[in-house]
Amino acid sequence: MAVIENNVGAYPVSPHANRGGLKAGQNRIGLLLLLPAATGFCAIILYPFLSALGLSLFEYTVEMMEPRFIGLENFAKIAADPDVWAAFWTTAIYVVLSTTGTLIAGLGWALIMNQPFAGRGVLRSLSLLPWVLPATVSAFIWGWIFNSRYGVLNAFLMELGLIDYPQAWLSTPEGAMLAVVLTKVWLSIPLFMSFFLAGLQNLDKEQIDAARVDGAGNWAVLRDHILPHLRPVLMIVVVLGVIGNLQQFDTIYALTGGGPVRATTVLSVEVYRRAFEQWDIGFASAVGVLWVAALLPPAFLYLRMLVKGN
Amino acid sequence: MFDLSSRQAKIVFFAALAVIGFFLFFPLYWLVISSLKANAELYRVVPTPFPTMPSLEHFVRALTTGKLPMYLTNSLITSTCSASLVTLLALYAGFSFAKYRYFGRQPVMLFMLSAQMFPFGLLLISIYPMMSELNLLDTRPGLILSYIVFALPVSTYMLYSYFSQVPDELIDAARADGASDLRIFHTIVIPISIPPIVTVFLYSFMWSWNDLLYSMTLIVSDEKRTIGPGLLLTYLNEVNADWGGAMAASLVASAPIVAAFMFLQRYFIQGVTAGAVK
Repeated sequence: MAVIENNVGAYPVSPHANRGGLKAGQNRIGLLLLLPAATGFCAIILYPFLSALGLSLFEYTVEMMEPRFIGLENFAKIAADPDVWAAFWTTAIYVVLSTTGTLIAGLGWALIMNQPFAGRGVLRSLSLLPWVLPATVSAFIWGWIFNSRYGVLNAFLMELGLIDYPQAWLSTPEGAMLAVVLTKVWLSIPLFMSFFLAGLQNLDKEQIDAARVDGAGNWAVLRDHILPHLRPVLMIVVVLGVIGNLQQFDTIYALTGGGPVRATTVLSVEVYRRAFEQWDIGFASAVGVLWVAALLPPAFLYLRMLVKGN
Repeated sequence: MFDLSSRQAKIVFFAALAVIGFFLFFPLYWLVISSLKANAELYRVVPTPFPTMPSLEHFVRALTTGKLPMYLTNSLITSTCSASLVTLLALYAGFSFAKYRYFGRQPVMLFMLSAQMFPFGLLLISIYPMMSELNLLDTRPGLILSYIVFALPVSTYMLYSYFSQVPDELIDAARADGASDLRIFHTIVIPISIPPIVTVFLYSFMWSWNDLLYSMTLIVSDEKRTIGPGLLLTYLNEVNADWGGAMAASLVASAPIVAAFMFLQRYFIQGVTAGAVK
């Protein structure tokens, strides 16, 4: 999904939530104002969600006029289907690599962008760019870099003497995974950086100056002051990163189509293929239910942060 | 933050800057450079670091012979409509959450926000038959309505956080003068809320503009196709891959969103990270 991941549901409820508000007796108007959005929400988000969960209990393929109730049979089929298990495993690898990669690069870049130097403002603005590009465009850029015949990556590595002949990156399982992970890391760095930079704004500078007077070096300042200070932000970023990466579809589909064979078929691609290429709606929904189950732990953590922040 | 007076610290700092900076900016540089190379120069095993003879042929071809202008127009129509719709819905809902105290307000709001966790691909499984039932499959209104999925929850929350900071006294005073709530909202609150409203509009516009999944599934006919699937189908197909064209078309497709974003980025970042950091 495009880059501003659905991630952006990042904020805990505002501290103003319980204070203020207009006087009682106006509530009917309040509900009336909520009505249009609530209708849209129920019709386009809530109903489809519940309906998809329900469809997991039905057999519903392209030849059928009406779905037929089959209980848990779809799940039994999934349990016996190595392809679905493989998709879970692939998703786990993708999520761990992308989230870790973005975390390291995003934190590093935020620390660098927090240091005053000439040209920093321009760099900071420019580094937000990968975030706003259409998913197809990001996939094109990285597809071209990884191109087997004319790709700049091969040229680089050959120039450095690391490989002897051009590699067909996107045709090997590892190469394709590397490409989809790098693409995701690249386009998520801006979001992570923005969170970290916001967190760095209220760092206690006097405390750091005091530590420096006591002889602390850069490494000690980072380890004892900056990183502990960023801990809450780090938690939010990791949870949101995991949620976003678990759902990532567009760049993977555009870059590798889930291939070669099934090497980059993560859950989102698996569900899409089962539903809209094989038209096995019931089975796709059942995989979707397990997908939602995988999202529950990070979603729970996220909700807890929301409520705590309240 | 870091003390860079020592030589060693400087080296580490600028080495990290170079490595991450290269990773971030080289792909963008390569996008621009590749779009400016004529085919004879583009398809070389050892690429040239910058175009020896810059050429606009890919841009000319993308804009004159292909369907890119049509896809762009379609994206402009769907994205503008869906962003307007989302902004409108979020505007009233955000104000309602911020300034009224009815029963269930907070759970409803939290629930709406956590709906961002529902995978878009899963929702699509039921949105598809639903649109088919309503005869909205392969229509712009169908796609526009479906785009509510992406941005409505977060947009509502962004506007809610903003409206919470509008003083109640402002509204109470106008009420004492006999103005109706709707009138107060329209004539007093909205005029002082233009930056967040524009941010929310841009945020939802971007989601629709950048979408691939929904558009490629819900739209079948080429005349209504938007830019995401349009680019994919035009430039990367089984028969041939026109990388120069793909790069030029990518730049054209990104230009509007990048321009808008650069102009409004300050509000944007604030909106997106607001409250997440204490």
